[in-house]
Amino acid sequence: MTRPTTILIAALGGEGGGVLSKWVVEAAEAANLWVQFTSVPGVAQRTGATTYYIEMLPRDDTADGKAPVMALLPSPGAVDVVVASELLEAGRAIQNGFVTPDCTTLIASTHRIYAIAEKSAMSDGRFDGDNVMRAAAQMAKRTLMADMGKLARQAGSVINAVLLGAMAGAKALPVPREAFEDAIRRGGIAVEENLAGFALGYDLAESGEGATDDSSEPQAVRPDAAPIDRIEQGFPEQTRPILTEGVKRLVDYQDADYADDYLDRLQVVRDLDGPERDYALTSETGRNLALWMSFEDLIRVADLKTRPERMERVRREVHAAPDQPVTISEFLKPGVEEWCSVMPPWLARPLLALAERTGVTKKLNVGMRLKTTTVLGFLPLWLVAKLRRWRRGTYRFRQEQALIEQWLDQVLAAARADYDLALEVADCALLVKGYGDTHHRGTRNFKLVMAALPSLIGREDGAAQLKALREAALADPEGDGLDKALTRLGHSRPEIGMAAE
Amino acid sequence: MAERSFAKEVASLRLGEGEVFHGEGILAVTKALLQSGVSYVGGYQGAPVSHVMDVFADGRDILDELGVHIEHCASEAGAAAMLGASINYPLRGAAAWKSTVGTNVASDALSNLASAGVKGGTLIIIGEDYGEGASIIQERSHAFAMKSQMWLLDPRPDLPSMVRAVEKGFELSEVSNTPVMLELRIRACHVYGSFTAKDNRAPEFSRNQVIQDPDFDVSKICLPPSTYAQEKHKVEHRWPAAVKFVAEHKLNEVFEGAADEVGIICQGGMYNAVIRALQQMGLADAYGKSEIPIYVLNVTYPLVPDEITAFCATKRAVLVVEEGQPNYIEEAINSILRKADLNTILIGKEVLPMAGEYTGEVVTRGIARFLEGAVPKGVSLAPILEMQETAAALRHDATELLGEVVPARPPGFCVGCPERPVFSAMKLVERDVGKMHVSADIGCHTFSTLPPFNIGNTVLGYGLGLASSTGIAPNFGKRVVSIMGDGGFWHNGLTSGVANAVFNKDDSVLVVMNNGFTAATGGQNIPSTGTNPRDEPTGQDIEGALKGVGVEWIRKVRTYSVSEMAKTLREAMTTDQGGLKVIVANGECQLARQRRLKPLIRKDLKAGKRVVRTRFGIDDDVCTGDHSCIRLSGCPSLTVKPNPDPLRTDPVAHVDNNCVGCGLCGEVAHAAILCPSFYRAEIVNNPNAWDRFVDRVRRKVIGFLMGRREAAA
Repeated sequence: MTRPTTILIAALGGEGGGVLSKWVVEAAEAANLWVQFTSVPGVAQRTGATTYYIEMLPRDDTADGKAPVMALLPSPGAVDVVVASELLEAGRAIQNGFVTPDCTTLIASTHRIYAIAEKSAMSDGRFDGDNVMRAAAQMAKRTLMADMGKLARQAGSVINAVLLGAMAGAKALPVPREAFEDAIRRGGIAVEENLAGFALGYDLAESGEGATDDSSEPQAVRPDAAPIDRIEQGFPEQTRPILTEGVKRLVDYQDADYADDYLDRLQVVRDLDGPERDYALTSETGRNLALWMSFEDLIRVADLKTRPERMERVRREVHAAPDQPVTISEFLKPGVEEWCSVMPPWLARPLLALAERTGVTKKLNVGMRLKTTTVLGFLPLWLVAKLRRWRRGTYRFRQEQALIEQWLDQVLAAARADYDLALEVADCALLVKGYGDTHHRGTRNFKLVMAALPSLIGREDGAAQLKALREAALADPEGDGLDKALTRLGHSRPEIGMAAE
Repeated sequence: MAERSFAKEVASLRLGEGEVFHGEGILAVTKALLQSGVSYVGGYQGAPVSHVMDVFADGRDILDELGVHIEHCASEAGAAAMLGASINYPLRGAAAWKSTVGTNVASDALSNLASAGVKGGTLIIIGEDYGEGASIIQERSHAFAMKSQMWLLDPRPDLPSMVRAVEKGFELSEVSNTPVMLELRIRACHVYGSFTAKDNRAPEFSRNQVIQDPDFDVSKICLPPSTYAQEKHKVEHRWPAAVKFVAEHKLNEVFEGAADEVGIICQGGMYNAVIRALQQMGLADAYGKSEIPIYVLNVTYPLVPDEITAFCATKRAVLVVEEGQPNYIEEAINSILRKADLNTILIGKEVLPMAGEYTGEVVTRGIARFLEGAVPKGVSLAPILEMQETAAALRHDATELLGEVVPARPPGFCVGCPERPVFSAMKLVERDVGKMHVSADIGCHTFSTLPPFNIGNTVLGYGLGLASSTGIAPNFGKRVVSIMGDGGFWHNGLTSGVANAVFNKDDSVLVVMNNGFTAATGGQNIPSTGTNPRDEPTGQDIEGALKGVGVEWIRKVRTYSVSEMAKTLREAMTTDQGGLKVIVANGECQLARQRRLKPLIRKDLKAGKRVVRTRFGIDDDVCTGDHSCIRLSGCPSLTVKPNPDPLRTDPVAHVDNNCVGCGLCGEVAHAAILCPSFYRAEIVNNPNAWDRFVDRVRRKVIGFLMGRREAAA
């Protein structure tokens, strides 16, 4: 043998990769191997990506007790086992060249812990995990990839125990199973759970079958039959999955009449649409229209927060036993705009104008910590949720409907000239979301982008330009990106104080 | 108590002659100090040598038995000055710190120490924080050795070599009256291995056996005319003595090889990487037997010219593997060869990069290129070249398959960190007063400069946050904010920053992050901890120190109160009062807090006591997926998950199970008027009868109301 067996463990600082390494080292020592281990503690340990590196070699009687020379750093083409505690870190190991088809067994958990750039994006910044899976399949000699986090939860152990089991089960190291298990026992912490996790990892490696992904929980939505029948009669098949969701959502949000309004609006779009593009415009508009029509007002929030299934979901999420008392506190800070939004327009308008004049629009927000598990905390939200039946008369409702109508007209206008542009216009509705300042910012961005639309109709690159504008609006909360993009297009941005974060 | 406890490992410090030590490199070095009869040790924490101090703190019993004194120094300057004990007396002493930054801080005392010369062996253990995992500017400590004529050891990174370096280092120091620096790279500090131990040696003079008579010798004082004599003594006596000792004791090593028309000269610390590269090329076996001769510099300063000329004389070409820049060693060897009139071709940074860590890949590529050019007899080049091509092709494939660059995962504030809320507050204040200029400092809080906060315009050194604002503050349109951790505050910030700002009547704002420890280096005690590493109360605090140097505007704010913090910052930015305004941001390091609380909670749970667990959550149907909350927090437990809503594609925010319930999410949601999707859940373990009764009643009534809601719909 010209070099020792080498193991690279890729993990996140603070995850306990050191414990995993220590188990491996102890098991190897118990199996009478030469073993060396090193890592790069320090600031990398504070939640950043980090690695641990182990080398081992059976003792050779002919070597005269001479110790082998082992490296402190992994070399591409000379890493036998790569263990990654998370999917992106497996990708990083592949990117750094440590996974090679001549020698590397890649053992990785497929669950995701998102990096800061992925999770702080204003829309969806997630790295495509399929790329890692594809690269792993091609770059590794052998892969063993599954959601080991799930197996760990199943066993009540740490993920490292499952990874250790998978390493043992993959039989890529000259160390017997018992030596690994003894190392866990000697550790003395949560021994039973960790041995259970180890066994799940070991079996996984032996059977070669990964755990299947968690499918997300089904949404509890009260179905209603009438408008759904309308979809089947009046809309093409390709659009039905989304439209059905839309109808369900709006019945849940308001009532069947409101869902009918939704389909009325969509009918106009459908009439302009055709099978050439699979009725994509109807589907996309349908998706965004349903979201917009179910805008998040005070009533909606109160409604969602006072449902029995919500209480159950929270209990599940915080791992509370059925009989365990749980107190839930809501962080609400409604102000002038929120209260006015549920008033009739004749009352809301003068109040908002007064607040604006006296400069208190943003100053009267009262921070509340409402305990919705107490009767007195639950009741106010429950009562607000009851305002649902008067929602159509509220100021916010009228405002949103006006904006929606405007947007739909723009979709139709674009559709008559340029189908792709119309699809982009439909997606621009996504810019309006959130609450408070976020909502203001989104609405402003939406209006700015839409103001540029007339100049894009008839342009060959109209759709691409509008898409660029939309993406620019989502690039940074300060609006610098959108500002630049608009200037490039020759639109100057009106002076508005943009709320930075 | 430090982040990592060595309570178990210190037992191995007691191992005697012939017993086998298993453990980390830095622990082995500590054991070697005791085997060498050291009288006093000290230093300043910082990765990768924090553990030296932690081990000593945990191994106090052993030190007491031997009479070894341990000093937890205020800074590296203090630690270097401590070594002055060895100028007059035959005491062996050692100090440890992170380099180059620590050596920078220490350099005043080091210059004086090196000039005066030492009688007792003096060893400086420097953790060379270079390459992957490093947290500081990338420079070499080598230059310090050269400018002050201190000797620099860079042993092979295995435990027996490192231990030998310590033992021989003391001897070398005494023979040549010169302080010796022992350079250990990050991975060498943390390498786990074994060596055969010797008995510990009680020092001749120590706390248990004190020196009775003071020694006065004017030639040891760093004042003219002694300084002139000292400089001469360095070059005329100490240097030759060192070269002679290094050669006689064979501190450097030559490993012969068959392909002897070429050779490699490497720093000791690079040896294992060189061997791995040769192993991959089929030119070395697992035990280091190499086809290519290797000359290993376990002492990188001074060089031994005779050894170098002897190694090179018979070779056509020699490769120097020297990590870091400038390439001092390569240049020095070139000069030695020139003077000896040898025509050996010397290759170094031509095939190896000038800057950056010498990883396995870098060294392999460099050696391959060297062999390709040198074409030594007996070495078959084809497989080596093919290996290089395959490696490049694979790298290309990997990049292609991944599609885009894998997102970076920079370090950041831990879950529940008390420093994060301060920067959330700053972001909110910036909404009102506009972007600020922030003089950042060294510590965990430096992470504020990274996403998602990106707060902090400059970083100039430990404790220098405020000092680094003094030039820009008077030239900037609004008040400048400086940051300083309590670690930096006591290290030097109190004098270089605070006292000086009061003295100059500077009008600026300082935020002192008071988390009670030097958290970034592993949670060591400092004056604001309230106790020293021996758990003795010290009665020191930041507020008292601030008042003592004349600060008048002082506010103490609990960091998690984001609104309060934002209000105080706004006040500091806008008040008419001139002078320095200091906000002491109080919040215990969450790692330390969890370390303290977790065992207590476990105990209470076991005992059946009522324990309330708090954590935060997000209603995923209320969240609209804008992620402003993440941009204002960056907490690792605040993340995203796929949207359960079939109509939405943007992921929703989500709080995972690592949440410690620090409360920042709720504070930010309130302070920034973000969104109503956050909730706080308090889960009662071991509820008492009253808890259960109230819960039952509440669930009944609320359940009834919920039913009514359904009926109404």
